[in-house]
Amino acid sequence: MKNISRQFISVFFTTLILAACGTQVSRVDVEEKHDLSGAWNDTDSRLVSEEMITDMLGRPWYRTHSKAHKTVPTVIVGTIRNLSHEHINLNTFVADIERAMINSGKIDFVASSQERSEIRDERKDQDLHATESSRKAMGQERGADYMLKGSINTIIDVDGSTQLRYYQVDLNLISLKNNRKVWLGQKKIKKVIKNSKLRF
Amino acid sequence: MCHHRIYQTALILPGYILLLLLLNGCASYSQTHHSIQQSLFNHNPARALEQLEKNSHSNNDLFLYHADKAILLRMLGRYKESNIEIEHAKKIIKKFSASSIIEEGAAFFINDSTRVYIGSPVEQVMLHIYAALNYLELKQTDSARVEILQVDTRLRSFMQSDPDSPFSFDPFARYLSGIIYEDLGEWSDAMIAYRKAYEAYLAHQELYHIEIPGQLKESLILMADMVGLKTERKKYEKMFKLKFTDLNAAQDKQSELIFTFHNGLAPIKKEHSMQMLAPATGRFVRISLPAYYERNNRISKLRIKIRDKDHYSTTTELTENIGYLAIKTLEDHLPAITARALARAVAKDKIAKDSGEKNQLFGLLVNIAGVATERADTRSWLTLPDEIQTARLNIPHGKHTLAIELLNDNNQIVSQKRIENIQIDKNKKLYLSFHWAANGIEHGLIKQH
Repeated sequence: MKNISRQFISVFFTTLILAACGTQVSRVDVEEKHDLSGAWNDTDSRLVSEEMITDMLGRPWYRTHSKAHKTVPTVIVGTIRNLSHEHINLNTFVADIERAMINSGKIDFVASSQERSEIRDERKDQDLHATESSRKAMGQERGADYMLKGSINTIIDVDGSTQLRYYQVDLNLISLKNNRKVWLGQKKIKKVIKNSKLRF
Repeated sequence: MCHHRIYQTALILPGYILLLLLLNGCASYSQTHHSIQQSLFNHNPARALEQLEKNSHSNNDLFLYHADKAILLRMLGRYKESNIEIEHAKKIIKKFSASSIIEEGAAFFINDSTRVYIGSPVEQVMLHIYAALNYLELKQTDSARVEILQVDTRLRSFMQSDPDSPFSFDPFARYLSGIIYEDLGEWSDAMIAYRKAYEAYLAHQELYHIEIPGQLKESLILMADMVGLKTERKKYEKMFKLKFTDLNAAQDKQSELIFTFHNGLAPIKKEHSMQMLAPATGRFVRISLPAYYERNNRISKLRIKIRDKDHYSTTTELTENIGYLAIKTLEDHLPAITARALARAVAKDKIAKDSGEKNQLFGLLVNIAGVATERADTRSWLTLPDEIQTARLNIPHGKHTLAIELLNDNNQIVSQKRIENIQIDKNKKLYLSFHWAANGIEHGLIKQH
C-alpha cells in the first residue's frame, strides 16, 4: 500500500515537471484581440475588411448601379499591393475581403484571373471527357462590372524604444466599363508599441 | 609531510584537468568557423552549409547561425529559404535588443561572449540588403520594397542614437532603394533615394574608401530628367561631365540587367592576449582583445558581357565596402572593450588573490579559471563578403548568355564563368548576383588607425 502511494506521488510529480517543461498551447476564439509584436495581424485584417466592405456597400454607387441595371453589381478583386514596412500576408487579407463581400449578399462575385484559368482548364477537360448533359459550355462566363484594387501603406515613427505605427488601407472600386472610380475607401489604424529597455 | 604532498597533488591534478576542459570548451567563435571557411575557399558552399548545420551552436550565437545560413543558401540560389533564415535573425535582434542584467553580469565576470549576439550595425543593415536582393532575384519587387523601408527605419534609429555615426548613412542601402523605387515606377522616391545615396557616398568617401559610382551619377541625371527637375539635371551633367542625351539614347527602350558581385570574405576577428598593468592595483593582468585580420581573397572586379547582334559589356564598380565598415566598427568599440576587459581582469585577479590568502590551492584554481575564461569576443558574420560591387547594363529583351570575366588589378582575366539562358523581359529589370570567395590566403593584421 505504502509502495503504491509512493509510486503515485512520483508519477504525479513527474507529470507535473513534464507539464511545466512542455510547449503550452491554449485555444482562443478567433474574434479575440491579441497583440503580440505590434505587427499587422489577423484581427487587423478581419476588422479592416469588414468595416471597409460595409462602407463600400452603403455608398451611392450601389444604388445608382442597381437602378440602372436592375441587377446586383458583379465585382472582382484585383491587385492589392503591400507598400508597408512589414511582410504582410495579402492572401488572408484578400480572402477576408472576399468573404465580407460574399456574406453581404449584395454583390455577385467572380473568380480572380488565376482561379479563372484553372476553371477554364477544367471546362476544356469536360469538353473532351464529360457526358453531354453534364458538360458546361464555354463562353458563358459572367463578366465583372467593377474591379477592387488597393494598397496597404505604413508610416513609422521611432523615438528610442517607442514606435508609432500608422497603417492606411486604401481600396478603390473601379468601373471596368469606363475606368471611373466609383468608390474610394480608407481605413486607418494607429498603434503605439513600447519596447522594454531591459530584460532578464 | 609525504602524505601532505600526495594530498596536494591530488588536488592540483583536477585543477589542471579543469583548466584543460575550460580551455577546450572556450575556443573562440572565429576558430569554430575554420572548416566552413575552407569549403568556401574551395568553391563549395554546399559543403559549407553541411558543416554549418553540423557544428554545435550556442544559443547566444544563433543570430550568426541564421545569418551565415542565409548567405550560404543564397550562394546556392535558394533565395526563399535564405529569406526565412534572415527573418529568424531579425527576430533575434528584436527580442534581444534590450540589455539584460544577468548577461551584463556574466559578461563582467566571465567574458563578452556570454552576451546574446545581435549583430553590429553594419551586419543588421546587411540583413535587409540581402533579403531585398533575394526578393529581387525571386522577382518579388514589392517584398524587396518592404525590406528597403525596414532598412530606412533601422538607419533612422541608428541616426537617433548616434547622429555622427557613419553607420547611420549606408550609401549602398540608399542606392539599392533608388533602384527598387525606379523599378516600381515610383520616380520621386527613386530620386530622393539616389540623392541620399550620393550624399552618403560623398560624405564617407574617405571613410568607406569608395568612389562615387559612375552608375549612380548616370541614375541621378536620368531620374532628375524623369521627374522634371531640369536645373538639377543640368547641375549633375556639368558636375559629372556626362551628357543626358548620350545616356538617354543608351537607355532608350532597353531592358536592364542589374548585377551584384559579392567579392571575397569580410575580415575575421582573432584573439590577441596581452599583459597589462592595472592602474588600480599595480599588478599585471592578462586581457584578451579582438583584432581583425584580412582574408585576402577578393579579386579586383568583374567584366560582364552579352553577345547579341551588338556587344554589350560593362565592369562592376565598388558600391559597399563591408570589410572596411567592420574594421571601423571595431575601432569605435575597442576603447570600451579594452576598459571592460581590464576591469574584468582586475576583478578576477582580486578574487583569486583573496581566495589565495585563505587557501593557496583554492586561490590557484580560481586564478586558473579566471585566466582560462578570459576570451576575446571574436564573433562576427563571417560569410559576409568583403565588398559588394554593382553593374547596370542596358540590353535588348530576350534570351541571352552572360559571360563573366574575373579581373585582377592589372585588368587581366584570372577566371571566366558563363550563365546560360537568362531571360529578360521587355522594358523590365533583371537582377543577378555572383559570389566569389575562393582561394583565400590569410595574411597580416590590419593596422588599427
